[in-house]
Amino acid sequence: MRHRLGPGKPNKIRSLILIAACFLIAAETTVAVADSVPYDTYNYDYRENIVPTPAAYVPLRSVSGVSLLWNDESIGAFQSPEDLCVSADNKVYLADTGNKRVVVLNLAMTEVLEVIDSYDYNGTKTEFGSVTGLAISNSNQLYIADKTAKRVIVLESADKDRKYVKCIENPQSELFSEDFSFTPTKVTVDYADRVYVIAQGKTEGIMAFDENGEFTSFFGTIGVSLSPWQKFWRRLATKEQRAKQQMFIATEYTGVDIDEAGFVYATYIDENAKRSVQRLNPKGMDVIVAGENGNLSGDLDYFGTSDYSGPSMIRDVVYRGKGLYSVIDSKRGRIFTYDAEGNLLYIFGGLGSQAGTFYTPVAIEAIGNMILVLDKNRGEIQVFTETEYGQLINQAVALRYDGDETQAVDKWMQVLKKDENFELAAVGIGKAYLTAGDNEKAMHYLRLGNSRLYYSIAFKRYRNAFLKQHLGQILTVAIILVVLYAVIMKILSKKNLIRKQEEVW
Amino acid sequence: MLKKYFSKEKLLYPFHVLTHPVDGFYEIRHRGMGSVPLAILIMIVFSFCFSMNRMMASFVVNDVDPRSVNSVTELGAVMLLYFLICVGNWSITCLMNGEGRFKDILTAVGYSFLPMIFAFVIGTVFSQIVANDETAFYRIIIGIGVIWTGALLLVGIMTIHNYTLGKTLVTLVLSFFSICLIIFIGIVFFDLIDQVFGFVKSVYTELLFRT
Repeated sequence: MRHRLGPGKPNKIRSLILIAACFLIAAETTVAVADSVPYDTYNYDYRENIVPTPAAYVPLRSVSGVSLLWNDESIGAFQSPEDLCVSADNKVYLADTGNKRVVVLNLAMTEVLEVIDSYDYNGTKTEFGSVTGLAISNSNQLYIADKTAKRVIVLESADKDRKYVKCIENPQSELFSEDFSFTPTKVTVDYADRVYVIAQGKTEGIMAFDENGEFTSFFGTIGVSLSPWQKFWRRLATKEQRAKQQMFIATEYTGVDIDEAGFVYATYIDENAKRSVQRLNPKGMDVIVAGENGNLSGDLDYFGTSDYSGPSMIRDVVYRGKGLYSVIDSKRGRIFTYDAEGNLLYIFGGLGSQAGTFYTPVAIEAIGNMILVLDKNRGEIQVFTETEYGQLINQAVALRYDGDETQAVDKWMQVLKKDENFELAAVGIGKAYLTAGDNEKAMHYLRLGNSRLYYSIAFKRYRNAFLKQHLGQILTVAIILVVLYAVIMKILSKKNLIRKQEEVW
Repeated sequence: MLKKYFSKEKLLYPFHVLTHPVDGFYEIRHRGMGSVPLAILIMIVFSFCFSMNRMMASFVVNDVDPRSVNSVTELGAVMLLYFLICVGNWSITCLMNGEGRFKDILTAVGYSFLPMIFAFVIGTVFSQIVANDETAFYRIIIGIGVIWTGALLLVGIMTIHNYTLGKTLVTLVLSFFSICLIIFIGIVFFDLIDQVFGFVKSVYTELLFRT
């Protein structure tokens, strides 16, 4: 080093200072990255204890309307935006509800590509009422749920000039009551252009429409469960009392998304904090898989009496591919990510006014390694980007979803290095050792991961192998013991020791 | 002293009671075969075996977080419950023509817990070699211990007081209520003490600030 910097004493000192400075800078940056998130990152272990984890996602930046330009003018702040949508060609659609328009941004969310504020409805140019839901079909058509105009408007893709295609309004069916009025709030569309609409006040389920916009059926239901105590009181009450009691009606869905196979992910607010997400198959049946504790409703530990306590209020869901989906909780502003088996992978986000926190999160979307959350009150999109920890988990889960458990082991090992309490990683490694036939190592990791079922399988194999190997020795020892026992008994009885003992009693 | 309570004969006697409960408890009452220190010792060992089972039984059968087990607190709880049961039973049977003295109740209840010690020890060792679908065997071991202890308790109380079965059951239910009463009075007592203490303390501080 001295030679490179040149001869002489002053240079030596300078190089030392330089090296020290380098170390200082390196130390500063690593610490800053690890500690700078303004929210709690944690997970729940097998016993439902809270375990702190590294951050899986960190805030990248926030996007507000003020800094965005359209025709060389600022488009102004977003007014209580309600929904967010990402198309397959990587554009971000934002329902700017208060400003009665749809804003289309590029992937980096630095440029405005389009501002849609009206459509050609039967020859007359009509402005939007209040846009509350957005969806993009496979053919890039834009589906807009307009709550005040009471219709779902379908517009062509951008390269076809956003021409008006059709709209869904005033659906007819004998299933509706006479005073029914169609008020769509959220919309999603599957690969065959079937449309699923959440309508305000429609507690029967999601409204499903065929590709021509005809109502087909209600889709999915939210079960209502009564506690035994409530049932008991209803049994005691008279008919008049019962009529005046609070009715037990299912809540409405709060958000929808759809996966590539046409399964609808729908969220709702579950007061029992058990299930807040459904995965509806084409028949409308819930086929979601929950993890070992049966919970798909965000926080497990929410007791207390403050405004901040109480079950999570799941507002929206985004399907992120490979069975992974994230839900957003508006109660505490947290984002919970689950895998296809219902395991809670990581938690991040929170309420507040710092970057990376929200006032009223209403919608969530994902692009690549980023997660976008729309804050209605602040009119901002908060952008999160994955850390190495989050990336490793995502990759491992994806590999596992594809059945590549052996390849996933490598990722799980790295996850364990960053967070040795991550049970899913331990189970993943244990399972791989189990298939590889290394029962002892499998037992170790499965024990760490608290997986009774797989631990038992590994243990059984280990036990059988042990018995097979040592059966000879075990039997020899047993025979020797039996013979010894017989001999000793004989000697003892000869000395009349046993009879003496019996006399004592 | 030690010889009197822990002679070889007395040490072996609980094992005799295990298999001959009626005769055994009769002789404890009438021939002085029991030993109160030995009964207390059995309860202490039982408490440690209970904690050991919770802590060390294989996680296949055991849902307890080992970090949450504290054998000393559990010892305190077990001993407290033991004396509560004995005092509760004694306070009822005194009034209902029970022949047993307090030391007989202590001995009978203490000796009855011997099968649980065996069940916990054997169960804990056995749990190390069971897999998920064989946990029923472990549960049977613990179950036998519980049933045996229950039977010994019933027969013990019945024999030392010279009761019929029906009367024993009635006194057991009444004992339960008397235990609840003792606990209630205890809580009220401690609360009162606390309030008196608080009063004295506030008077003291008041006087202190006055000067």
